[in-house]
Amino acid sequence: MNPLQELLSVKKHKLLSVFFTAGYPEAGSAFSIIKSAENAGIDFLEVGMPYSDPLADGPVIQQSSTRAIENGMTIELLLKQLNEIKGKTRIPLLLMGYLNPVMQYGTDRFIRDASGAGVSAVILPDLPVSEYLRDFQPLYKKHGISPVFLVTPNTSIERIRSIDNASDAFIYVVSSAATTGKQKSFGQAQKEYFQRLRSMKLKNPLIGGFGIHNNQTLSQAWENLNGAICGSAFLKKLAEYPDTDKAIKQLLDDLGPDSGNNN
Amino acid sequence: MKNNIKLKVCGIRSPANMMEVASAGPSYMGFIFFEHSPRDVSRTIAQLPLEQLPEHIKRVAVMVNKPLDKAREIVKKFKFDLVQLHGNESPEYCKSIRKEAGVIKAFAVSDHLPDELEEYFDCCDYYLFDTKSDMAGGSGKSFDHSILARYTLEKKYFLGGGIGPDFKTDDESLYPGLCALDINSRFETSPGEKDVSLIKNFMQNLELNKTSSINLSGCFPDKEGFYGKFGGAYIPEMLYPNIDELRKNYIEVLESEQFKYDFKNLLKDYVGRPTALYYAGNLSEKTGARVYVKREDLCHTGAHKLNNVVGQALFAKQLKKKKIIAETGAGQHGVATATVCALLGIPCTVFMGSKDILRQQPNVLRMKMLGAELVPVESGSKTLKDATNEAIRHWINHPEETYYLIGSTIGPHPYPDLVARLQSVISEEIKKQLLEKEGREDPDYVFACAGGGSNAAGAFFHFIGNGKTRLIGVEAGGEGADSGKTAATIYKGTPGIIHGCKTLLLQTSDGQVTEAHSVSAGLDYPGIGPMHAYLHNSKLAEYIPVNDKEALDAAMSFSRAEGIIPALESAHAIAALDKFTFSPDDLVVLCLSGRGDKDLQTYEKHYS
Repeated sequence: MNPLQELLSVKKHKLLSVFFTAGYPEAGSAFSIIKSAENAGIDFLEVGMPYSDPLADGPVIQQSSTRAIENGMTIELLLKQLNEIKGKTRIPLLLMGYLNPVMQYGTDRFIRDASGAGVSAVILPDLPVSEYLRDFQPLYKKHGISPVFLVTPNTSIERIRSIDNASDAFIYVVSSAATTGKQKSFGQAQKEYFQRLRSMKLKNPLIGGFGIHNNQTLSQAWENLNGAICGSAFLKKLAEYPDTDKAIKQLLDDLGPDSGNNN
Repeated sequence: MKNNIKLKVCGIRSPANMMEVASAGPSYMGFIFFEHSPRDVSRTIAQLPLEQLPEHIKRVAVMVNKPLDKAREIVKKFKFDLVQLHGNESPEYCKSIRKEAGVIKAFAVSDHLPDELEEYFDCCDYYLFDTKSDMAGGSGKSFDHSILARYTLEKKYFLGGGIGPDFKTDDESLYPGLCALDINSRFETSPGEKDVSLIKNFMQNLELNKTSSINLSGCFPDKEGFYGKFGGAYIPEMLYPNIDELRKNYIEVLESEQFKYDFKNLLKDYVGRPTALYYAGNLSEKTGARVYVKREDLCHTGAHKLNNVVGQALFAKQLKKKKIIAETGAGQHGVATATVCALLGIPCTVFMGSKDILRQQPNVLRMKMLGAELVPVESGSKTLKDATNEAIRHWINHPEETYYLIGSTIGPHPYPDLVARLQSVISEEIKKQLLEKEGREDPDYVFACAGGGSNAAGAFFHFIGNGKTRLIGVEAGGEGADSGKTAATIYKGTPGIIHGCKTLLLQTSDGQVTEAHSVSAGLDYPGIGPMHAYLHNSKLAEYIPVNDKEALDAAMSFSRAEGIIPALESAHAIAALDKFTFSPDDLVVLCLSGRGDKDLQTYEKHYS
């Protein structure tokens, strides 16, 4: 089991993860963000590999990506940074990015090096599940990397089942048909959708994302799913507070009193 | 035949003959995996370019008592749609392989229908009746068809066993349940080599494959949208249902009588087709060849773009979409979309980079006049690439009622194929017009400019792979193809993913898409349609860059020689003529994709 799978095997409820873009706000910000998040009791981290054309992302993540690329962030540099802090942190790490930069780095080499840098899982939203199964599954398995796939309110039941079968860490539940950071609040539609997923009794835990930014959205994800990921809202805090401890504290304040140190 | 009987051609063995047979347009093609057959492909299948077969021709793997794991492996590896089983395969065997592909269970027939048909009823898709022989089919002899008149099962069947060119029936009621004829040895010049003219005549005489009236020359992707290794659909899950809806419906809609009728009428009376094929005497003299200009500039709104927009807007209506969105670079596609949306009464939103808005004012004003909502795009490079990103993001956020009307042969499958099919009317007309004017259908050369590649796809389509026509795609070299300020994607690009498809694109070594540079906004795109990346790789077409200055100069000399002001995009194709040496008899077709009114400011700046 990789560290993320270990975590998910013992903690089944109220998981909290945050997303940040590597290389944002500064080229070398990752280390202090990871430390601050770990100290604040965040369960696992999603590290974004910046891309020039992030189709699934709203303006906040787009801008952080543009800035990160200007700061010189590349997959190569990110993996080097992660290698440097390996052993100095225990928080499970997940890499999120788009397929093209990974292809250019070399998919085989990427999975091998990510595993070597202590990464547990990879999310590539534009990698088709069918292509993963056909071309990459043995590679992921060999290096102990978990693939994470997205489901949305419009994903068919059969597709959710096949995604569940292909997964071995968790399923990323996109809260609504939208790009990141668009949702202001969650309503009845989200609740029903989360409950529909839960009633499918899937083998993987369900972690919700896209739009988690306050107590209402977090509570609803926690009530119906196993955990939540907070992205755009955290990036906004990072832009506002150069002190990463403070940024994460501000985020936890927004998310609600029982979100921090929830172990 | 009235009942729309399909045709299956079986026993295909060689690559060239395979493509030739495909051009006749059967519904099924069979490949025999049986080493005792003279048409066995067990060892040679990898040499057949199966990925080039159009999607609507179903591929059938014919097998005899093949171990299940072997059969599965063949189906998966070569993406067969159906298996045809000629041995003693059990119902359980059929059930099991049917999870991977459709099943045709073959039965040898002598003087009565086999007793075990019902046993197989639930585990196959079709039966096939073949003549009983020692060789598990393939005898070339037929059985007494009169026993078929007594066939009463619900399951449809294929009829094989010695069907020859002389097969005919005046009374279809003698064949209840027949859905396809399976032909093989009696249509050959030697084992495995089919006589395509015999097949074509046979189809015509029996009126087989009536519903499939697509002209089958051309270039089509495989089921998953791949042209060789390029294409596909690399999209986030949020877009999956939208793309899936298009993928499942586009061929059926394009092939429906209603669509064909509406599309044809709008092309004729609204777009103004056929566009003229004009013998450009002065240009011919200068070039030293017989040069014909395909006048796409005469289409309503001034460019070929409208062909695609009319087709896709009809498709959107068929899917009951309430709103259309589009991206635009130079504004030609935006204007075309705004135009057709006004005509059909569909609300329209166009995404356009703020940089392009500044340099393409006339088209901005046209879109506004036509009632479209224009959204300036401020992200990234503020040009076509980011306008496309924003259109896709908007689609993610409004998935159910919105149709995304893409303007070129780019994007995730099925868009490249959809757009190429709709634009293929250009080469369809060229063929007819050349035959009238020159007594032959196929020119020696076709020149077309290529940004995303839609007019080139349309102008090349029916000439691809004919062995007679050199197809020249002309890319925007910008300030020089090696200057770093270029849009010559095929020349400078590397394989990667842009806007949902695998193709060649301009990017950094760590996979960030870079900005393209061209004086012509319509060619200013860092990717190119996957079909062109494939045609380039397989040497079915050639691509060359032409610089800004060469294109601007060609625009001036062409205007003065022929009295036609070309669009700056098309001027690239004109300039490319100078890079070739022709012989006086060479027949050259130049696709003039659009007119130059929108570029007058740029021209004035350059010439003054």
